[in-house]
Amino acid sequence: MVRLTLDRVTFWYPATKAPALRDVSLDVAAGEVVALVGTVGAGTSTLLLVAADLAPRVIGGRLEGRVHFEAPEEASGGRRIVLPTPWTQVSGMAFTVWDEVAFGPANLGWSREEIARHVDRALAKLGIAHLASREPAALSGGELQRVMIAGILAMDPGLLLLDEPTAELDPAGARILWQLVRELARGGAGVLVATSDSDAIPEFADRVIWLELGRVAAAGAPALVADEALCAAELGTTVADTWRMAGLAAPYPATVADAVRRWPAR
Amino acid sequence: MRRLHPFTLLAIAGALPALAWTLPAPWGGLATAVLAFALTLTPGASPRLPVFRTALVTAAPFWVFLLLLHDVASTVAIGLRITTMVASFVWLMAALAPSRLVEAMVAAGWGASVAYLFAATLSAVPLLRARARRIVDAQRCRGLSPRGGVASRLRALRALALPLVLSALHEVDERALALETRGLVPGVRRTPLAPPPDSALQRIGRWGLVTVCAAALVWRVTWSG
Repeated sequence: MVRLTLDRVTFWYPATKAPALRDVSLDVAAGEVVALVGTVGAGTSTLLLVAADLAPRVIGGRLEGRVHFEAPEEASGGRRIVLPTPWTQVSGMAFTVWDEVAFGPANLGWSREEIARHVDRALAKLGIAHLASREPAALSGGELQRVMIAGILAMDPGLLLLDEPTAELDPAGARILWQLVRELARGGAGVLVATSDSDAIPEFADRVIWLELGRVAAAGAPALVADEALCAAELGTTVADTWRMAGLAAPYPATVADAVRRWPAR
Repeated sequence: MRRLHPFTLLAIAGALPALAWTLPAPWGGLATAVLAFALTLTPGASPRLPVFRTALVTAAPFWVFLLLLHDVASTVAIGLRITTMVASFVWLMAALAPSRLVEAMVAAGWGASVAYLFAATLSAVPLLRARARRIVDAQRCRGLSPRGGVASRLRALRALALPLVLSALHEVDERALALETRGLVPGVRRTPLAPPPDSALQRIGRWGLVTVCAAALVWRVTWSG
């Protein structure tokens, strides 16, 4: 089974004295979706780079603690990250969307039939099969972001790491993505996602980890996004924030459905 | 012509200028220039007339400069050689799809990193053009006009070039991470997605062109000596 374990990880970027992550421990298992929340500079993106084995291996820096990733031998896709800016993720080696999505699987050395199957499936899942013959450079930000996510999905990752995946998407695109995340987890993949879309977290996450200044400030069930401390840090859901601002009693509801349930007993 | 293997197209586009500079002037240069222009009119270099015209217009200024610097005989000798180079290159750009070249390189066993260098260079143009368009739009929103006199246009050019270059440099790090996570690591054996078909005839043709160029060089050195 796929499992990622970070054990008391502290990480420094090159030529910096203050660590970007401090004593972080977490665990992501197969079939689980873990959401990372935090304000800008909290360390969520850095944590994903460490989890993806890109920091410090590729970007440099220093790491203390232990990062352990285990996957069954047949899981060729390993752990893959989708970065927040789609334009910087274009391979530059593909002249159509189909080829762009196939870029990763081709690098894994799969057969052409296997690549075609994975690419077509990923395009269909993201609802972008109609873009297959378009040139990547001619796409909008939202379309390109979906292409990049499809490119990683086509590699069949055991652990999917997503950094603000809905930043370029419209609400409908974001909803499709969160449904897809749940579907992937049902299929046995582990998902670690950094997002500021707090309203969606109760719908797709199994657990929430709140990072503040590189430390784990709190961790728990998705209801954490309705916690007083998170709302005070402006990381709560819209419903929880509204409830709080209206002066209604805690605990706050995380979703509209929670609020409707609690309304008569307020 | 477009159906030819990319290496064959490269061999033709490389052999013509090589022969133009090797064979005696002006007849060698004239023959290769005529051949190169004939290629621009072949069905592969579509649309034909604009390709022919582009080659002609690009080569024309060289003739003017040569005429200012040399006598007529030298101008014709060098001009025909340069014209061959220009026409061959313009034809190659029109006939060779970059994606097919990359596929051919991967299928021929070139490392994915080397193929990436070629492909990234070729595909950088549309990406940079798209980014330049976004920067121009952003600068227009902030009141910069690309129209007007020379000074105004130069100001607009600087406002475009600086962000374009700086943003390209800035994204290098993130692009490296993206490529790494998508499996482009040194030594990877990439699967060619649609390798262009090659044939024994084309392979013989390519080696034939190399042999002709080498023979022309040897003959020219011997003949000159």
